[in-house]
Amino acid sequence: MALIQLAIDGLALGAAYALVALGFVLVLNATGAVNFAHGDLVMVGGFIAIALAQVLPLPGIVLLPLVMLAMAALGVVFSWLAYFPLMRRPPAAVYISTIALGIVFQNTANAIFGAAPRAAPALLGDRVFQIGGGVTIGAQSLAIILVAAAAILAQHFLFARTRLGRALRATAEDRDMARAIGIPVTRMIALTFALASALAGAAGLLLAHKYFVEPTRGTDFIMTAYIAVVIGGWGSIEGAVAGALLIAAFQAIVSAYVSYAAATALLYAALLAILFFRPRGLFGERAQRRV
Amino acid sequence: MAVFLTAGIRLPLAALAAILVCYPIFQGDPYTLRVLTISGVYALLAIGYQFVFGFAGALSLAQGCFFGLGAYMTAILSTSFGWSFPATFMLSIAIPGFVALLVALPVLRLETHYFALATLGIGQVVLLGALNWTSLTGGANGIAGVPAIAIAGQEFKRGWPLLLFVWALVAVGGAFGWQIMRGLYGRCFQVMRENGVVALSLGIDIGNLRLVGLLLSALYAGAAGALYAHAVGVVSPEALGFPVMVACLMMVVIGGQARIAGAIVGAVLLTHLPEWFRSLERSYLIAYGAATLVTIIAAPYGIVGAIERVRVLLWPEMRPADPEPVAQRVPARTAPHQIPLLEVEDLTIAFGGVTALEGVQLSIAQGELIGLIGPNGSGKTTLVNLLTGLYRPARGRIRLAGRDIANEAPFRIARLGIARTFQTSNLVDDMTVLDNVAIARATLEGASLAATVATGVTDVRLARARGRAIALLDDLGLREHASRKAGELPQGLRRRAEIARALALEPRLLILDEPAAGLSGAEQTDLARRLAALAGNSLTLLVIEHNMPFLMPLATRVVCLANGRVIAEGAPAAVRNDARVIEVYLGTPAP
Repeated sequence: MALIQLAIDGLALGAAYALVALGFVLVLNATGAVNFAHGDLVMVGGFIAIALAQVLPLPGIVLLPLVMLAMAALGVVFSWLAYFPLMRRPPAAVYISTIALGIVFQNTANAIFGAAPRAAPALLGDRVFQIGGGVTIGAQSLAIILVAAAAILAQHFLFARTRLGRALRATAEDRDMARAIGIPVTRMIALTFALASALAGAAGLLLAHKYFVEPTRGTDFIMTAYIAVVIGGWGSIEGAVAGALLIAAFQAIVSAYVSYAAATALLYAALLAILFFRPRGLFGERAQRRV
Repeated sequence: MAVFLTAGIRLPLAALAAILVCYPIFQGDPYTLRVLTISGVYALLAIGYQFVFGFAGALSLAQGCFFGLGAYMTAILSTSFGWSFPATFMLSIAIPGFVALLVALPVLRLETHYFALATLGIGQVVLLGALNWTSLTGGANGIAGVPAIAIAGQEFKRGWPLLLFVWALVAVGGAFGWQIMRGLYGRCFQVMRENGVVALSLGIDIGNLRLVGLLLSALYAGAAGALYAHAVGVVSPEALGFPVMVACLMMVVIGGQARIAGAIVGAVLLTHLPEWFRSLERSYLIAYGAATLVTIIAAPYGIVGAIERVRVLLWPEMRPADPEPVAQRVPARTAPHQIPLLEVEDLTIAFGGVTALEGVQLSIAQGELIGLIGPNGSGKTTLVNLLTGLYRPARGRIRLAGRDIANEAPFRIARLGIARTFQTSNLVDDMTVLDNVAIARATLEGASLAATVATGVTDVRLARARGRAIALLDDLGLREHASRKAGELPQGLRRRAEIARALALEPRLLILDEPAAGLSGAEQTDLARRLAALAGNSLTLLVIEHNMPFLMPLATRVVCLANGRVIAEGAPAAVRNDARVIEVYLGTPAP
């Protein structure tokens, strides 16, 4: 009976997670750096949507482009603060700089909006469709699925079919070679951060209606993105999306039948188990370790 | 006195400590004492964090979790069970240690971000447990009414008594940390942090060092958590939250990574920052984040690291006298060329479906100098990585003096007698040439945690290792460079220092990966002379080289690899004139 409802809600959650994981893996591929503040960018996106809604009381779907634009700008600033000054240092330096910026984001949000959970506007409204047998489907869930699918397809199109996408991929593949053939590498990396940040912001808007957002939610999001990437194969874009959908399905089912806490704990236990048996992720890393 | 003033940064630190002592005496209101007490608690937490993050170089995000576990243990045992301080304190230290050992199994072999996120996951699970196991932990409200510390009727009330108690433990903790890190054992951590693969090649068991780092960090965190519970009186899920972990990380980064003093400076500074930025109210954490970002960009080793650099500029380090050389004990010589020292059979490995080596056979007799040649990508370095245990073969056997080593850990193979150098030069730049060589003696001199704890005023193991190192540097003509930092050496001397380091392992087989690369003609001649001398001393050598004029006069035998197979083997002149060898090098069939 409620199975269809559960499936739709799970898919909506997964679609939003996929946007989070997608942004995470794009930065990962372009820089080799793990962005520990990526979850906080999702949170910031949610709060920008909430702030915009106070000024412009419009449905979320109208606010979405504005949120993504603001987040893209933030992404560029982010890269200049946390990545470029440290790109020639050991990777741990970038981990720490992104953690530090994440703290700045969290506490700025806390200072402006307070610690309590807040809700962003719905994409199209909160209508609920009745479809026989007492099963209901929320318009928000359907809208999330459509918007996320559109964003993922747009990203795919950009990377697979456009000149700019090829330049972005070349930069991620081999930075020195890309520079040698005249690609403005620094600009491409900054653009990747902008793209990742915009996707994170979109996810923030999508998630912050039904699941709320509070300044400390970022940790959950980064763990989700990270686990999705570990499941899907470190560096694989399609794998990250698939991993995100899998995690959401797992969370939706366990939350429905046991509890959210149990779902989260089991998910982290699964991460530890995967890392124990496959220390480099479920499908290994794309790049060979160099000795 | 002069040495005292110019070694490390003891003088500025002594001044800082004096200010810190005077400050509460003249500003002795309860609030100041309370903040200073909390500073001490965080100093202990941050000193512990230096072991795993600073010294072992692993970004653990579980330190806050261990701290919270200690705090909860103290709160639960002292309120619900009414246990006394010595018992609750012991268990508050032991339980985080136990959890660290438990999680060590899955997480310790992880690297970089995998380790960071796995430890973050552990913290999140424990936090969920504390929030949901309400009957034990009081859920979101936590546990109130943690009593003051009392030992045998003597109470340490909040205020001066608790302040002194906490800082006494900081002093003990700091002294213990210094004891662990000041000698030969501590230098092993430094090599591991710079380059784990190099540490393995020197016989250093990096898994064990990381376990020690994680365990010690958990024990310190547990103690800090217990003191926190007594100092604050209430333990809530906040003690387990990510902000504690982040505060600890920032203290170490801002104070100075891998420095005990850095942990203390960072803890005192960051616990007082909210007081100085009181106008920001709770948003002082924004300033924390910004300060950390600025520090990591501008001062990689934090405040203490920056002071060290200024101190070196103002009062240059006095070069210590060279240690007395210690001659190597002469090994019992086996008759050369009789038993094969190394036998390789059918060695095969593939990476992602691409076969890098296929059915390689190789036999090296004692005392030979084998030249290994082949075009780029032919599998030479892959073969070396297999021989030294960095890769596991898909098929085949590797025997060292009759013993199968194909599946041994790299550090064990190094201890069994295969030493190597790398294509890219990788000494620890920030360490003297002498100590770079001395660390290779760690296993032979018996450096271990237990031995280090029991070390007296001078570390005799370090002294012996340095004695042996200076003798080796002398042999290789580097004696006058012994007390220079390795980063200051030119390329040719670095190569020789790396050979000295490999020889310090007393290897049976020494593998050199392109030793002549980047050397001038004169340096090559010099190196060739020294290698010939080593071979004359019945050391067995395997030398990878592209440079034929360098290699051919030296080698007793030459092996040529192409596309992962041995295509020619024999006397240098014969291999050089082999049609297949000429073909792979020139790309055209020989006429």
